Amino acid sequence: MSVADDLAYGAEKAAVAIAAPKAAVVGRVSLAVHVVLWAAVLAFCLVPLLLVLIISFGHKVEGAGWEWALTLENYKRFFVGANWPAESTSLYLGQLYWSMRYAVSAALLAIVTALPFTYLMTRQSRRAQAVWLVFLLATVSLSEVFSVMGWDIILSNNSGLPMLFAASGLTDWLKETGWFDVLRDWGLANPRNVKFKPSEVATVLTLSYLVWPYAVILLYPALSRLDPSLAEAARTMGAGPWTVARTVILPSVRLPLIGTTLLLFVFLLGAYVAITVFADPSQHTTAVSVYEHVRGSTLNAPFGAAQSVILLVTATAFLLLGQWLTRKAARPS
Amino acid sequence: MTSLNRRALLKRGGAFAAVSAASTVMGTPLIAQARTLRVGSYGGYFENSFKEHVYTAFTAATGITVESVTQPNSNDWLVTMQQATAAGSIPTDISLYARDTMIKASRLGGLIKPLDMAKIPASSNLDPYFLFDAGQGVLGVGAMSWFSAMVINPTEVKEAPASWADFWDTSKYEASLGLSKNYNAQFMDITAATFFDGAATFETDEGILAIIAKVAELKPNVALWWSAESQMEQAMKNGDVIGGQYYLDVSNLMASEGFPIKPIFPKEGNPQDYGSWCLSALSDKDAEAAEFMNFSSDPATQALMSRKIGTAPLVAKDKTDLTADEFAFVSGTPAIKPAYEAYLDKETFMKEAWDKMVAGA
Repeated sequence: MSVADDLAYGAEKAAVAIAAPKAAVVGRVSLAVHVVLWAAVLAFCLVPLLLVLIISFGHKVEGAGWEWALTLENYKRFFVGANWPAESTSLYLGQLYWSMRYAVSAALLAIVTALPFTYLMTRQSRRAQAVWLVFLLATVSLSEVFSVMGWDIILSNNSGLPMLFAASGLTDWLKETGWFDVLRDWGLANPRNVKFKPSEVATVLTLSYLVWPYAVILLYPALSRLDPSLAEAARTMGAGPWTVARTVILPSVRLPLIGTTLLLFVFLLGAYVAITVFADPSQHTTAVSVYEHVRGSTLNAPFGAAQSVILLVTATAFLLLGQWLTRKAARPS
Repeated sequence: MTSLNRRALLKRGGAFAAVSAASTVMGTPLIAQARTLRVGSYGGYFENSFKEHVYTAFTAATGITVESVTQPNSNDWLVTMQQATAAGSIPTDISLYARDTMIKASRLGGLIKPLDMAKIPASSNLDPYFLFDAGQGVLGVGAMSWFSAMVINPTEVKEAPASWADFWDTSKYEASLGLSKNYNAQFMDITAATFFDGAATFETDEGILAIIAKVAELKPNVALWWSAESQMEQAMKNGDVIGGQYYLDVSNLMASEGFPIKPIFPKEGNPQDYGSWCLSALSDKDAEAAEFMNFSSDPATQALMSRKIGTAPLVAKDKTDLTADEFAFVSGTPAIKPAYEAYLDKETFMKEAWDKMVAGA
């Protein structure tokens, strides 16, 4: 070993000696951050979720509250009703079906309308884009209650569309031509005037209105990064606007499109106010039923919890399906 | 009794609360040596009116100071009191319970205690129905009551219905009525009183199913199954519905503000619900509680509550000095008494059967 080697070795040792406490401090800090993060996840996500899961096995005491137990009766009730085997009902499965149907159709409607809007928005000046985005972000801050109230007024007899129908003579015209009776058969009119609530159309419209700003904001980054020269090149080669949209723009935003749809879908599963106001009780969702059982006079938290767990499992299945679709889309075809 | 709370927010608001809170605080030190009693009631306009009008009159009459305790409602409060009793420290001496909650409390046991009725002589003014006795003595003395009534839009419905049965007439009411979506909003009691044997029909499952089947026949006429009270209020104002079932006091208030709504007492009557004062099992204020309940049962106090809070008196009209108009604003006859026991004993069965009917599942 030469002197130089000796020196180098000594310097290395010294460096390690200085670095060691520093590394230990960094290690301790990162450990602390980890512990805090995990504690937060545990306290705010896992523990409430576990509590819901545990309560879902609880037992309802008739005429009183409920008690801790380990029974599957709440899950059984979801599929066949409380009076099984004397009779069975698909009431709760039907509600789950409507949860999915509303969430899927409202999410798709929002995406289909937000996509062209966002694309056109990204073609505008920076300033105009900023104004639009700020406006949309501001509307997001409106609570579901206010949005639903607004739509309620738009669709109400004395203040909204039906009033326009009556005032413009459209209602009388419908009555003369016989179309009014058809609308009555469809549940879209009472003997006096047309009525738009409760109806599935009103519900889906309101739900997609609620998530529409999110759709725009989520699609914006992908669409604004899109290179305009691609579309221009396609146009110069003779492709029409529709062909350009179909073969150039859509394929390049396929992933964010699927991701946004999934996010809107999950968001819509929990909708409550819009459903109770605009949907007929035959089309109410699991979220409404959960609320009624937990906060209603029966105080049946276990059954509410069981319904929540089933909704969670179903939503997860939908998300896995969506992820599978995404992976399929990501692969070059 | 959410109706009164909500109305509080809309109408009277905070100034009122501040004034009454201040008067309570300022009054306390002067009679700190004197006797006190903690009384619970539903918060908001309701509790504030009690503090301003009823408790002050009680203190003036007896020298007992009332410390007002806010209850969120009847059901949740029972859970609170259950936990408090188990812990050995109760937040109030007297609680205000709706009849179904009071029955629940008596069944759970150890939460409320029997009252010495000899010290509450004025309770003889009340119909015995309002003195709840589950077998171990009177557990609750009626405090006040409220009706949910048949309502119509008088500009659309020219001839007021004489019976609830008229609502089943589709030629008049197709897709035009608003009813509560909740199974226990007492429309079943109305149907039982109109087409069956009243509360007796609730004794068997078959009877309950027959009532629900009868309500199912009404479905083509229902445009709105409301879950929040404000939905029905808006639907009546907007003309989305031209009739249905709604709270009597709120309907009268809306009518007095010029909205097209008119509450009616058809020949079968309207459902009457009521609240009771109950003494906590751990309270040592038996004497003060008896004086309070005695004061509350007095026809003059009952009339005071009708005027200031909008509740229906639990004593006959001729015992009070209420005018015909004042009485009609809060009460009427006949009264349909809900089948409380069935709603408790068969709650899961009734809720599911009702929900199935409403959903058509």
